[in-house]
Amino acid sequence: MKKKSIFIIALASLTLFSCKDFLDVQPTNSTESSVTIQTLADAKVMTNGLMRNIAGLSYYGRNFMLYADAKGGDLTIASQGRGLDALYVFNHSANNNSYSGFWSEGYNALLQANNLIKSIEKLESEGTNLDFSPYKGQALTLRALIHFDLVRLYGKTYTDDPNSLGVPIVTELLEPSAQPTRSSVKEVYEQIMSDLTQAEALLAKEKTPGYINYYANKAIQARVYLTMADYNKALAAAQEIINDDLYSLYSNTEWVGSWAKEFGNESIFEIALNKDQGDLGASSLGFYYLKSGDTKALGNFIASDYFLTRLGQDEKDVRWGIYTTDELDRQGACYKYVGSVDKSGDGKETFTAVNIKVIRLSEIYLIAAEAALKKSGPDKVAASNYLNQIRKRSPSLALSTAASVNENMILDEKSKELYAEGHRFWDMIRTNKTITFNDEHVGVSLSNREKSIDRTFYKTILPIPIEEINANPAIKDQQNPSY
Amino acid sequence: MKKHVLTSLCIMSCATFQLVHAQQISVAGKVTDQNGEALAGITIAIKGTSNSTSSNENGLFTINADPNATLIITAMGYQKQEINLAGRKTVNISLTVDNQSIDEVMVVAYGTVKKSAYTGSAANINYSEEEKDIPVTSFEQALVGKIPGVQINTTSGQAGATSTIRVRGIGSMNASNEPLYVVDGVPVISGNVGQMNAQLAGTTNNIMSTINPSDIESITVLKDAAASSLYGSRAANGVVIITTKTGKSGKPKIDFRTSLGLTPTWATDNYKPGNVQEQSQYYYQIFHDLQTSAGLSNAEANKFAIDRMNSRFGMHGYEFSSDGTGRFDKINIKGKTDGVENRDGKYFDWNDALFRTGQFQTNDLAVSGATEATKYYSSLSYTTDKGRAYTNEYSRIGGRLNFSQKLHEKVEFAANINITHNDKQGFNDTRNTGTNYNYLANNLLFPFYWPTDYKTGEEYTDRYNSLGYNPLYYDKQWENDSKTFRVVAAPSLTVKFLPELTGKTIFSFDNSEVKDHLYYSALHYHTTYGEPANGTVFEYATNHRKLLSSTTLNYNKTFGDHSIDVLGGFEAEKNETNYQYASGSNLPSSALHTVATAGVKDASAYMWGNNMLSVFSKAEYNYANTYFLSGSFRRDGSSRFGPDTRWGNFWSISGAWNLKNEDFLSQVDFVDQLKVKASYGTNGTLAGADYGWRSLAAYGYNYMDQPGGAITTLADKNLKWERSYSFNVGTEFAFLQNRLYGSVEYFSRDSKDLLQDVNISFVTGFSSTLKNVGLINNKGIEISLGGDIIKKENFRWSANVNTSFLKSKVVKLSEGKDITWWDPTGGDSRVQFIYREGADVFSYYVAEWAGVDPSNGNPIWYTNDGTEGDFLHNGRGASNSVADAKQIIAGSPTPKAYGGINTDFEYKGISLGFNFNYKIGGKIFDHGSRDVAEDGYYWERIRSYYAIQESWSPDNPNSLYPRVSGNDPEDGITRSTRHLYDASFIRLKNVNLSYRLPDAVTSKLRLNNLRVFFNGTNLLTASKFKWADPEVNQYGTRGWETPYGKTYTFGLEIGL
Repeated sequence: MKKKSIFIIALASLTLFSCKDFLDVQPTNSTESSVTIQTLADAKVMTNGLMRNIAGLSYYGRNFMLYADAKGGDLTIASQGRGLDALYVFNHSANNNSYSGFWSEGYNALLQANNLIKSIEKLESEGTNLDFSPYKGQALTLRALIHFDLVRLYGKTYTDDPNSLGVPIVTELLEPSAQPTRSSVKEVYEQIMSDLTQAEALLAKEKTPGYINYYANKAIQARVYLTMADYNKALAAAQEIINDDLYSLYSNTEWVGSWAKEFGNESIFEIALNKDQGDLGASSLGFYYLKSGDTKALGNFIASDYFLTRLGQDEKDVRWGIYTTDELDRQGACYKYVGSVDKSGDGKETFTAVNIKVIRLSEIYLIAAEAALKKSGPDKVAASNYLNQIRKRSPSLALSTAASVNENMILDEKSKELYAEGHRFWDMIRTNKTITFNDEHVGVSLSNREKSIDRTFYKTILPIPIEEINANPAIKDQQNPSY
Repeated sequence: MKKHVLTSLCIMSCATFQLVHAQQISVAGKVTDQNGEALAGITIAIKGTSNSTSSNENGLFTINADPNATLIITAMGYQKQEINLAGRKTVNISLTVDNQSIDEVMVVAYGTVKKSAYTGSAANINYSEEEKDIPVTSFEQALVGKIPGVQINTTSGQAGATSTIRVRGIGSMNASNEPLYVVDGVPVISGNVGQMNAQLAGTTNNIMSTINPSDIESITVLKDAAASSLYGSRAANGVVIITTKTGKSGKPKIDFRTSLGLTPTWATDNYKPGNVQEQSQYYYQIFHDLQTSAGLSNAEANKFAIDRMNSRFGMHGYEFSSDGTGRFDKINIKGKTDGVENRDGKYFDWNDALFRTGQFQTNDLAVSGATEATKYYSSLSYTTDKGRAYTNEYSRIGGRLNFSQKLHEKVEFAANINITHNDKQGFNDTRNTGTNYNYLANNLLFPFYWPTDYKTGEEYTDRYNSLGYNPLYYDKQWENDSKTFRVVAAPSLTVKFLPELTGKTIFSFDNSEVKDHLYYSALHYHTTYGEPANGTVFEYATNHRKLLSSTTLNYNKTFGDHSIDVLGGFEAEKNETNYQYASGSNLPSSALHTVATAGVKDASAYMWGNNMLSVFSKAEYNYANTYFLSGSFRRDGSSRFGPDTRWGNFWSISGAWNLKNEDFLSQVDFVDQLKVKASYGTNGTLAGADYGWRSLAAYGYNYMDQPGGAITTLADKNLKWERSYSFNVGTEFAFLQNRLYGSVEYFSRDSKDLLQDVNISFVTGFSSTLKNVGLINNKGIEISLGGDIIKKENFRWSANVNTSFLKSKVVKLSEGKDITWWDPTGGDSRVQFIYREGADVFSYYVAEWAGVDPSNGNPIWYTNDGTEGDFLHNGRGASNSVADAKQIIAGSPTPKAYGGINTDFEYKGISLGFNFNYKIGGKIFDHGSRDVAEDGYYWERIRSYYAIQESWSPDNPNSLYPRVSGNDPEDGITRSTRHLYDASFIRLKNVNLSYRLPDAVTSKLRLNNLRVFFNGTNLLTASKFKWADPEVNQYGTRGWETPYGKTYTFGLEIGL
């Protein structure tokens, strides 16, 4: 009897494990990447992931937003070593402070966009009856935007030398062994325009807060054309947005309060940050602009004297309402990304979870103004009118006229309006201006750049990160000059 | 007197009826051990004849012998004795235990083996005898320096920290280098468990500490393929087999042990800061230099620097002035009189406030015994370890029952059950928070900073205008705690189908529940979880469950001189981890640290795991205990690989030749043992990730409160097992009655198809993908030499030295391309390493420091870029700019040789032992000096005394470090050879002194055993690296982890 029962126990212990799929253990928090998109709901989920991706710390979440302001002369620092000051002092090489996050995050986001586009195209070729257009349109638009941002970071500006090296173009899902090389700036812009125009027809003309819609696509077109100095097309794109009237400018009384709200009337493309959903807390963009010591912030960046003089042309400028005193006792601490000078946030639990306003209608007016001014057969009346819609935010200043309007007025207005929103450097480079830095507060002498630079300075474009060159020898000979 | 009575009784009862040959006499005697206890079953033979007998259960024997005959007494575990009768009719024979007994029985893979018959390479530690007095919460640390070929490192001196064991070098880059741990025949999980390491990098929770070291009987480390390949796919890094105690026949025993260990000091200096005056001078110099280098005058620079000091430290009650305005003029420090406390001449000692005398306490109670049918060992223990850092505590309570019962003549049922709960709290070794005391006290908290406000006397709550916080306040505003509750139940059944055929099945259920708790109050400075979130609490529950079923059939038979032993088996294993997480912020009350009360809650839960199926077999043959041949084969299938590659075959062959049993040596008296052996075989290593072969998309990238997904890996579907091919050859010998014994072994292990994170173009979307490409070779020689130098009845002195020489080289990489990687310790990015073909596996990859220009104190760097640099220095291209210095391979942490020296003295009941561990060669990367011995980059931090003394000045032109600068010099913080030091050291790891009271005394007290002991740990250290503790982690880096202390332990052992 005993023996029998013993054998039964032994056999039972064997059979415990003898089910057929014992060696096929699936993860419970991930799926196989090849089956991510089957339904419209899936496409929405992956689009959300793509949005979170571009909201990352290296990209629109912080570093890319800071890049143009820190390098464009609108910002200064009161001390080195508080973080990201390398951007301001141009202390970067292929090995050190290379900001390779732009490169790696950018291409990772492109992979996510391409996954959406390719998966949808596959379903379409299989004859799906689901309408994936809005998702495909968004992915194509973002693919264009990412290429646009990368080519500006790593290549010369279009108007400088369109035949110089841009960045690798990615429109396919690549194998791990792929080693793509850089295309010319011109080719990259051709790809960007091709994606933008293909996407245009797929997107809705209504507001889709937090996502790309038709007008966001158009606004990116306006930016891209302006950068290419194709002013007619830039003006046309900007005018379509202005004339279709889905968005409207903030009044002077609304302006300061607009920072404490999500998705305002001007917001054409806004990336949402929620608590635990891209909120970077003490590493957030908002924190980098806080006054030193406020909520234990380090006080990384403050406005340069030049900027304060510019905005100080009118003490009554409504935009002063978002600035507070900095550690140097100037009104140089900008609180746009914490909602208000009281750090009220934009309506979420934490004041650091403030949406990133990527494109506002104000910018479109200023693009329209510049394009109207510079197009062949300039329309100075239109230029002045568009500019004045923004310029009236400084009530004490005289409005521009068709006679007085000029490029500097428009660029200065853009600096005042879009301070800390990631524009100044691109505008200065694009228009071949000299950038002068307010180094007097730094305390130490700087060795990585002169006080004034222009786009002939090699560090106005970033080095291809050493990690890329190591992994992709084909790109080695394509490193940017002097790095 | 008693003995005489017994002997006479014996003679009367046995001898009278014996037939006595002519010329022969009847000899009677008694065999006892050193303590006078009777020994049964001992063979007594007469030299030169086949006549022999054995002792009965009272140790008595009689034998007929020639009056001049010589008796030979042999017994396993005792030294052989020869006694010339010289006409005596009674003899008392006292056998001495042979501690170095060569033919001990070892526990090995799926069974036991006599050491002399073993063809593989294994080291056996009799833990319950040799290591029991060492105060450790987990056994690993007690083995330091004891086993050739085995390196044991603990990253931190924290109570409850995890150790790593490396057997014969490093065999993997991406998968595990951990050996497989097997407890009582069952593979178990090892290493760090729980989530604290992810939440507070640098903190670990060692699952091995759930095994009470007092329950361990022995530990065997399997080193070569012959020893370990029966464990196949997980055994490439060796196997550590732990065997717990079982009941011994005889009457029930009750053993009680208690000990108290005190750790009043560190074992070495740890970046001792300069004194207050020196630090003030250094601080002043930085700001003075900042001004003068910008062209300002001495007077302006002096004013700026003094103002800076007054504004920084004035709020703490100090004011500063200087004798002159020069850079090196003396600073005068005065206390202010406007507060409740005048701090004139008084400074706060943070080291004293944050560290205490550590206390290690352990109490063990064990009851054990055995009868013919039943064996049992049960224990209950309670251990507390209050670490040197005043918030760090570890406690463990646990019980064990090892039980076996014969159900039937041929059937035995056994069950090993272990239940343990441990609790570790107040730990943190990271560099970048306000709670690493070592870092705070020696780098961030000036002695000018007080925990109380000098004006109000109240607790200081603000930040000290630098990265430093008042830990005495903030420690009340946060908690961390990790609890592990582990139950292991392993029932087994052994059936003797035939005398030669045994079947055994074990089923093991191993369940660990780890609960981590992390809390930040609303007053805590944490920039996300503290004030901005109004307090946050996190609860993590991680359940590790391992189910294992192992069934073996063993056939063992001897035909004349031929013996065979064949084993076959089947094993299945299921590993599952269930993870749950909940957090809450916006806490309503500082008194309630629970998610339940939180205003905002967050949660996550999922599981992961892997399964394995195996069949295995082994065959051993020996001829006349002289020629041994052995082979094994195992086939494993694992869910960690795709369907096409998941099965792997692993095998070994080995042989040994016992020369002592050959005719030509058997008569050579001075040789007690001589054996040579060789083996070759393969093992595997599993991929580290459960799902590494799958290209995956993950979720949780939520956007606008909706789910979001993203592709997260680009995988190679055909990932396969890493494989190692090991060759081992060795000899074991003993001469002159064990006056000299030892072993020498050579091994070479090729680890192939290593999984590597191969760098790929970022344009693909990812920076790397996992592939089977690399090859590493480890080879080395292990020597162990020992001897009983003095062997007298009352006095014994033995000594033993072991040395291991190891070379670990990268042989092949993907397309020959270098791979750089960072030391993962503590998330600190301490130093970069590089894998390069032909280089050491652990190769530091840093800039090369050339020293200081004595004429002006400027730093000099070798450019190493193939050019002549800005100028030549020692004939090589050099520069004053650190940015021009290219990284080079600059040595390795791998020592040339390492090992231990152990010596023991025994006199009557007193025994005294010394254990040294040592390391020769290799480099330490001193990450700490990047903080405390740099040249002014960090303006407002504490410097160590040596940084201050070694900085360049006109009076000290031949200095170690450059001139202090206020212009953010990156020379001192750039990872370079400036931070590399010779890692050689020797340490008196343990001193043991114990006294066992004589039986005469204990028996009067009606005790079995009464013993007192003392242990001293880390008492002496001689080292080339002086600034901090030279005993570092496997990566050779020293940072801000809690150092080791000197521990003095006193204990008492009572046996009933």
